[in-house]
Amino acid sequence: MVEPLLKVEGVRAYYKLGRVFVRAVDGVSFEVNEGEVLGVVGESGCGKSTLSNVLMMNLRKPLVLVEGRVLFKMGNGFLEISSLGREEVKKRLWGKEMAVIPQSAMNALMPTIKVRKYVEHLAESHNIPKEEILEKIRIRFQEVGLDPVWLERYPFEFSGGMRQRAVIAIATLLNPQLLIADEPTSALDVVNQKIFLKVLMQMKKRGIVKSIVFITHDIATLRQMADRMVVMYAGKVVEVSPLEEMLRKPLHPYTKGLLDSVLTPEPEVKDRGITTIPGAPPNLIDPPTGCRFHPRCTYAMKVCREKEPALVEVEKGRKVACFLFTEEIA
Amino acid sequence: MFKVMFKPLLKNRKFLIGFSVFLFFLVLGLFGPIFYRVDPTEMTWNHEKPPSREHPLGTDTYGRDILAQLIHGIRSSLYIGFLSAIISLTIGTFVGTFSAVKRGVVDETLMAITNIVLTTPSILVAILIASYMRVRNVEMVALILGLFQWPWFARAIRAQLMSVMSREYVYLSVMAGYSDLRLIFEDLIPTIATYAFMSFVLFINGGIMGEASLSLIGLGPTQGISLGIMLQWAVLMEAVRRGLWWWFVPPGVSIVAITASLLVISTAMDEVFNPRLREE
Amino acid sequence: MRLVVRNLSKTFSMGFFSRRHVEAVRDVSFEVKGGEIVSLVGESGSGKTTTAKMILRLLPPTRGEILFEGKDVWRDLKEREELREFRRKMHAVFQDPFASYNPFYPVERTLWQAIELLGEDLSKQDKLNLIKESLLRVGLDPKDVLGKYPHQLSGGQKQRIMIARCWILKPLFIVADEPTSMIDASSRGGIIKLLEEMREENGTSIMFITHDLGLAYYVSDRIFVMKDGRIVEEGSPDEIVLSPKHEYTKTLVSSIPKLYKRMEDLV
Repeated sequence: MVEPLLKVEGVRAYYKLGRVFVRAVDGVSFEVNEGEVLGVVGESGCGKSTLSNVLMMNLRKPLVLVEGRVLFKMGNGFLEISSLGREEVKKRLWGKEMAVIPQSAMNALMPTIKVRKYVEHLAESHNIPKEEILEKIRIRFQEVGLDPVWLERYPFEFSGGMRQRAVIAIATLLNPQLLIADEPTSALDVVNQKIFLKVLMQMKKRGIVKSIVFITHDIATLRQMADRMVVMYAGKVVEVSPLEEMLRKPLHPYTKGLLDSVLTPEPEVKDRGITTIPGAPPNLIDPPTGCRFHPRCTYAMKVCREKEPALVEVEKGRKVACFLFTEEIA
Repeated sequence: MFKVMFKPLLKNRKFLIGFSVFLFFLVLGLFGPIFYRVDPTEMTWNHEKPPSREHPLGTDTYGRDILAQLIHGIRSSLYIGFLSAIISLTIGTFVGTFSAVKRGVVDETLMAITNIVLTTPSILVAILIASYMRVRNVEMVALILGLFQWPWFARAIRAQLMSVMSREYVYLSVMAGYSDLRLIFEDLIPTIATYAFMSFVLFINGGIMGEASLSLIGLGPTQGISLGIMLQWAVLMEAVRRGLWWWFVPPGVSIVAITASLLVISTAMDEVFNPRLREE
Repeated sequence: MRLVVRNLSKTFSMGFFSRRHVEAVRDVSFEVKGGEIVSLVGESGSGKTTTAKMILRLLPPTRGEILFEGKDVWRDLKEREELREFRRKMHAVFQDPFASYNPFYPVERTLWQAIELLGEDLSKQDKLNLIKESLLRVGLDPKDVLGKYPHQLSGGQKQRIMIARCWILKPLFIVADEPTSMIDASSRGGIIKLLEEMREENGTSIMFITHDLGLAYYVSDRIFVMKDGRIVEEGSPDEIVLSPKHEYTKTLVSSIPKLYKRMEDLV
């Protein structure tokens, strides 16, 4: 039986800009199970990066949690981390229970502070003896394929791929249960992307981290590692499915459109052709009524304009928010 | 476009304060002589008198009216500031733009000249030129000042345009068969407009300060009157030691207020036009 | 042969006193036929964009020649009219739809530029009609576009206007420098289709400059793989992707995540 590690329940997180709200995450529910790689996929501006901040409870103005709960498994029960403040979550969970690998490690590391300083800082904030943690990072650096002498270097001396590996080594130093990777490969070339993915999967295989949430716009990358997929569109989750089943038979029309727009160097893609979803993603300040995808959907019905479809389980382990499926059931 | 550019300025409190102070002096300099019709050079027997009904700001050693001097002084100081700023801006824009567009030898020559002017102690050269000319009117002083203020602006413009030149829209204009000149006027100048405007304010500032320093050492305009010249006279007659406050305080306060207001204006513009500095 | 590139090299010199030389493009040669779609594939720093700029006559080469329709673009175009003729026949779509528009002007400026370059004697109304027609042709409603400033349109819309510009000019050759890398996946297909239609209708040759082997594989008749300023392998898309010969191409192909096959050596 799979146990959830993290539960997200009806979360709404908005950016408050003056008098208007940008509804970046708007009523999202899903679980991250123990031992799985969960892929979160969506186009730019669909709220997936905001989601990673919500999972970490890294809420800073103008981003505010309007509604909903985020629960994290601690011992036998669940801790409602959404009721704690950012500082509290930072002190109790960051690094030890959950860690994030941001999009660009360049921004995560100050270029003029030696990598070793970061590690020492980590030791200080968690009251761990410095020597112990330095020994640990040396081993961890070797595991991710970096020479420990690089600990004495400055981040700007690292290449993009090395920097990203240094970040993963530091982020996983305290063996967090959950690792959140937010577009970690988008700034890397394909060869380094693959090396990075390998390191990431190693971390999971060796039990250093239990679960990974991998957020990206690139389905082909998720294809290599994800167990389940969460598809986001305009601040909403439109489909949750195991990866293989989603590839075989996408349920939501948006998922299908997204899959059919993927260009990978494969003969199958050439045979399939490439399709375009008409229109553009909506403005999250004033999203369309009903189903947010209806203006671009070829199957749109009258009900799609009026009512918002709920995310419901239509097959075992597969949820979709679309009237094409729920209307049949009803 | 201009509306979009300047609207946020009018919402910035710093800008409004700085601009009102500057506007006050501008109006005083422009319209003061029309309403206060007293000849600033007319000598009377009422010498070194403190403010009175007859002379609202008192008189100097020769019995000349200080208020009249001040109003005319502000007028010509601002005039020198504007004139030198226009000269600096023109030279700087020309040098910076051509360096960036033509590159190669043109760039290297122009930048060599720029660096020479930049590293020459300008006040020394200004002293040299000024001391060669027996009769100096305000325009000449403005020209001397204008000729030495532009280098930093030219270099900044060049650097900015170099980066603009590698933007795609510049390539697309080149590919549409634009000549260099047309490219400069349609694509390049607009991108440096806000920066040029900001620099213009600083140039005015530099011109007013420059005139005051030249005048203080006796190399200012030999004809007419300016804030610097008022201060020079006050210094010559030891007004400070003798406690004739009404003589040196008004021009001193005016210079400080005008230059400070200009600095505030340019900082405010920097904040508005440069999003990185904008306060959240 | 529409375009012949022979022994093209570009060396950048840096520093004032101690000149350091960077060879961005080394001895590159290839040919492109009329109506052919080719791709120059390489990672950032491979010299592909430098090559494109030299072909577009935006950056002078250090050595080598570029013959377009039999004329050397850097040596034979002396007269102003010859150069305009070249500009009409060879055009480009760039990577960044935001940087492709001067933020000070409405977006249709780029189309007026194209009409002016055409140099045909048309009335203002005819020109406006041509602009509207070109917008409709690329799937945009003139009402949504005309008079708008660049920040008011999406990346996909802006890239379509760039293609409308090409459609007005109907050039013989288009250099498409990463035309889809900065727009959303769901709008990408439309841009590619429009470019393919340009070839169908006018026999335009298109050269994609891209880091995305998936795109190159999908659209091209031939692919050139560039690495460190050299073309290391050239062939049909199937040859390059299914049986690569050069070590670099092999690594590249095996590193790209696929949709229909899971990498076996990942875990």
